[in-house]
Amino acid sequence: MTAKKKILVIDDDMDFLMATKLILESGGYEVFLAEDGKSGVDMVKSVAPDLTITDMMMETWGEGFAVVSKIRSMEQGKDMPLIVLSAVDLQGPYQSYEPSDEFPKVNMVLHKPVKADDLLKYAKQLLR
Amino acid sequence: MTMTENNSGLILIIDDEESIRDGCTQALEKSGYTVLATGDGHEGVRIAREKHPDIAYVDLKMPGIPGMDIIDILSREIPDIVLIVITGYASIISAVESMKKGAYDYLPKPFTPDQLRAVTTRGIDHRNLTLETRRLKEEKEQVEKNFITFVSHEMRSPLVTIEQYIESLKVIAGDCLGEDAMHIIERCEKRIQNLEALVEHWLDISKIENGTLTQKKEPVNLAAIVARSMEEMIPLCQRRGLEMEKDIPGDLPAVIGDEESLVRVLINIIGNATKYTPSGGRIHIGAEYDDLDVRISISDTGTGIPKDKIPFIFEPFFRGKGKEDRQRGSGLGLTFCKKIMEAHDGSIEVQSKEGEGTTFLLKLPR
Repeated sequence: MTAKKKILVIDDDMDFLMATKLILESGGYEVFLAEDGKSGVDMVKSVAPDLTITDMMMETWGEGFAVVSKIRSMEQGKDMPLIVLSAVDLQGPYQSYEPSDEFPKVNMVLHKPVKADDLLKYAKQLLR
Repeated sequence: MTMTENNSGLILIIDDEESIRDGCTQALEKSGYTVLATGDGHEGVRIAREKHPDIAYVDLKMPGIPGMDIIDILSREIPDIVLIVITGYASIISAVESMKKGAYDYLPKPFTPDQLRAVTTRGIDHRNLTLETRRLKEEKEQVEKNFITFVSHEMRSPLVTIEQYIESLKVIAGDCLGEDAMHIIERCEKRIQNLEALVEHWLDISKIENGTLTQKKEPVNLAAIVARSMEEMIPLCQRRGLEMEKDIPGDLPAVIGDEESLVRVLINIIGNATKYTPSGGRIHIGAEYDDLDVRISISDTGTGIPKDKIPFIFEPFFRGKGKEDRQRGSGLGLTFCKKIMEAHDGSIEVQSKEGEGTTFLLKLPR
């Protein structure tokens, strides 16, 4: 049996983290949780997840983007699949997401709340 | 006044008479003000642009640039500067004209140091009041804006989290849950979605009211907007056993507006129609135009609105039904639609007959 794939979820809402963890665990993944951007970035290094899912609007607006930039600049995070999961109306620069220096490359942008089936489907797709 | 008073403020004197400049400078410095003085109009404008004085005294009659022009330039260019006219040729006409150009006060020559100081104090008070008023206004706007952002985050995140929990509950317990339990979960989801819609609408209405809703103003194709809205609502109509049809002229002219908002207006109204139209009914979307307006009509064969309730349906939280209220919505849907239509310089009207149906008419200027 192959080892379980590891998924890191970063969000400042512990309840949201728990709900997401339950869904992902039902898909057979090992799930790690980080309640803020900094511990999230640290865990990318210590846990080396196969996929990271991060919120956009945490302590400050745009912290999610800072987290994404940081992860992308790290050896462990440079090619790791990344999903942005946000409740914010993706308006302005976020509406039509185009990766750039300012908005680094993520693999997918999903809107909260996310259907369990969708989350599992996309995770599977990105972890192929 | 013998003592030096503890005033502060930067005063600029623009007057070609040296004695006036010296007299004013002495009197005002004695009161604690900082004074700059020049006999040249152009130089005066330059100093004002660079130093942004609190008050500028401007002589109307000077060689070179007329004092009236200086008043005009400074009042337009330098925000909140208090301009006071000094002149030896005082007349009602020149006083009125300079006030029109933005002067705050008028001091006829000759004047005493006490008169000068009194006018200066009044000018500084006026300026402080203006600045304070603006600061309070800006603060209020900022608080309102932050409040909206705060509410947006603080009210939506718990709802989103509850929805996510329900999703996870279905995943981990789905197989063990009976039909009744699943029904309860579905009702919870429905009620949360309604509350979310309420928050959404309330936010949008607040944003329209304080002018922070970003609305595009570009030519939009109403036929495409109708098509998009219908596409979104067809599944719901099918579930409720309703037929939806449209009759839109191919040459419907474009109007100026925000496509997303207009789609939401239509979705709201079609959504209402589905709620109040019994299964087997019909929703018809039509359009017509003349030289002034483009009009979209949304008609249903539903229960209609009682005549005495029609005047209130656009009011926040007004509900069409009484006790049997099973048709819940955000309570702000039509208020939102009305605000959006008004933001487009358009209007929304309703015609309804109980037992026959309701027609909403959206009017947009060409």
